[in-house]
Amino acid sequence: MSMFNAISTAHSGLNVYRTWLDATSDNIANANTVTSTDEEAFQARRILAAAVPGNGAGVGGGARVTGVEFSSPEGRLAYQPDHPLADEDGMVRTPDIDMSVEMTSLLMAQRGYQANLAVVERARDAYRAALQLGRS
Amino acid sequence: MAINGVSGVGGFSRPAPVQRPSLTEPGTAGTNGTGKAAGGGFADQISDALASVQQSQEVADGLAQQAATGDLSDIHDYMIASTQAQLATDLTVAVRNKALESFQSIMQMQV
Repeated sequence: MSMFNAISTAHSGLNVYRTWLDATSDNIANANTVTSTDEEAFQARRILAAAVPGNGAGVGGGARVTGVEFSSPEGRLAYQPDHPLADEDGMVRTPDIDMSVEMTSLLMAQRGYQANLAVVERARDAYRAALQLGRS
Repeated sequence: MAINGVSGVGGFSRPAPVQRPSLTEPGTAGTNGTGKAAGGGFADQISDALASVQQSQEVADGLAQQAATGDLSDIHDYMIASTQAQLATDLTVAVRNKALESFQSIMQMQV
C-alpha cells in the first residue's frame, strides 16, 4: 500500500474508532429522546467493523467500518401521562439504550483510539530511528 | 478515503531495487539483459521520489487548509498525512545525502 504501512494501518483503526465514538455519542445524546407510541423509538447505532485484507507478507491492512446496525425500533414503553407526546393511556416510547453499555462503549472506543495513536507515534519513532542509521 | 490519498507515497517505493547494473560493467549484467537502460539512473529515481514526496505534501497541505477553514472532519487525517509527508521528506533527504557523500568520496579518490 504505502511505504509506511504501520502508520496507514493505524490510520484505518483510527477511522473505525472515531466512527464508533461518533455513534456512541449519538446514542448517549438520544438516550432520553422520547417519541409517541405510534412512532418508532430512536434506534441506537452499532458500528460493524471488519478486517482489511493485506497486500502480501501475511500482514493485514487494518480495519474498516462495514456498516451500521440499528437496535430495535420498539424501544421501551414508559408511563408518563403528563408528557406532551403521551397517548390516551399515558404511554410514551423511549429508546432501548442502556447507559452503562454506552459508557462502556465510550471507554472502549476512546482507549482504542488512543492505542492507535500510540501505534502511530511508535511507528514514527521507529522510522525516524531507521533514518538515523549510519549517520555519523 | 484519506488512506487512498496518502498512499500516493507508495510511488516512492519504486527506487527500492538498487540499480546495481548501472554501477557495474554492462557486460556483467547478464541477468537483466538490457544493461543500464532499465531505470534511467539515479537522477530519475531521485526526481521520481521527489515527485511522490511532493504529492504526499500536497495531501497534507490540502488537509491543513481544510483544518484552517473548518472543513476537516478528522484531526488524525491531517496529523497522519503530515507525519507521512515529513517521514518521506526525511527519507529522500537521507538518500540524497548518502548519495552525495558517496560521490564526494569518489571525487576525492587519489588516482
